[in-house]
Amino acid sequence: MQVTFKILRFNPETDNEPHFEEYRFEGHENMTVLDCLHKIKWEHDGSLAFRRSCAHGVCGSDGMRINGRNHLACSTLLKDLNTKKTIVIEPLPALPIVKDLILDMTDFYEKYKAVKPYLINNTPVTEDSERLQSNENAEKLFESAKCILCACCTTSCPSTWSNNNYIGPAALLKAYRFVFDTRDEAADERLDIIDTPDGIWRCHTIFNCIESCPKEINITWHISQLKKELSNREL
Amino acid sequence: MYKHRNSQGSGSFSWVFQRITGLILVVIMIGHYILMHYTPESGHTYDAVLARMQSNWYRVLDLTFIVLGMYHGLNGVWGIFRDYKLKSWQTITIISILIILGLAFTLWGIKTILDIPYVQTSSGLLVK
Ligand code: HEM
Ligand code: SF4
Ligand code: SF4
Ligand code: FES
Repeated sequence: MQVTFKILRFNPETDNEPHFEEYRFEGHENMTVLDCLHKIKWEHDGSLAFRRSCAHGVCGSDGMRINGRNHLACSTLLKDLNTKKTIVIEPLPALPIVKDLILDMTDFYEKYKAVKPYLINNTPVTEDSERLQSNENAEKLFESAKCILCACCTTSCPSTWSNNNYIGPAALLKAYRFVFDTRDEAADERLDIIDTPDGIWRCHTIFNCIESCPKEINITWHISQLKKELSNREL
Repeated sequence: MYKHRNSQGSGSFSWVFQRITGLILVVIMIGHYILMHYTPESGHTYDAVLARMQSNWYRVLDLTFIVLGMYHGLNGVWGIFRDYKLKSWQTITIISILIILGLAFTLWGIKTILDIPYVQTSSGLLVK
């Protein structure tokens, strides 16, 4: 099966602007998009730059725009794409391009760090005791804890496109993960952090984030829980 | 870069009231559409409007529609502007225009309704 890939290329040393380049090769329906990128890099053009590590949807490093949809290259099979047409590969939008499909993720991680993505509990643990969590509470956090920080959601959000200072769904999901953790003591602090003009209120329930999330997390539902929590706290 | 220091109070008020006013607007708008647009018999002549306005319930309903509609609409427009990165002079200009327009049109609407005379006689007939 002949496959055509059109990839947005950008070399900061020679290019002023990104441009598309096309590659045709023999593919197989069970190849992932990542396999195809490897094939192109190893057999056609060694200068193609992209990030990947696990190749199995765990590390979150190969989020990219595949036929206009943000997804992981390693979790997208050719048989799920229309290979009769050219497959278009672009970097995720809304973040600066370093080279080809590699983005400068600093801003994404800064937003993630802003919500204090770690357990805060300053009460000393007494001897022979642990910080126990109920099954119900674990259940409540389970889905939000599946995030692999691929940035597909935040860069798919129209609110991010119009205002890239918007904290974004990934960071809000992480805020949920700790705000509703019964062992954590900094819920109020985190709620203050997201209750700003560039914070949670820029989410207009557009659902792009859910559509792009490779872990199929219902991100918008989690954001809504935070909005309700903030409203209950303030009103 | 995300600024996580907030000097402008919680955004939850605006969020909650947008939803509450939205819910009330659904109810009023359905009534408004049925009566004004799908029931030609209700009439749109001066006399017909005057007759409707004899009911204080109807006046209160219209006043609620004006106030909530203006709040909801302009707060919605403000929300859209906030989705963009604005410089502080732009923010101040836009919010000022919205508040002035909002107040002017709301007061104008309220005045229009309050100015409609009560002309009904005890027999229910209009005397004009
Ligand atoms: C049928 C009754 C209505 C309901 C249930 C409703 C509900 C809502 C809700 C929930 C939002 C917030 C959206 C968000 O924050 O993401 C909104 C926004 C908005 N509404 Fe309404 N609304 C109604 C009628 C109206 C009317 C009559 C107007 C015009 C005066 C209006 C103008 C707006 C505007 C301009 C926005 C901002 C747009 C946006 O945020 O997407 N709405 N409405
Ligand atoms: S639901 Fe909220 S966060 Fe998700 S894409 Fe829509 S606006 Fe963005
Ligand atoms: S929520 Fe989903 S799309 Fe967003 S960063 Fe996490 S795994 Fe990726
Ligand atoms: S390479 Fe790790 S998620 Fe795709």
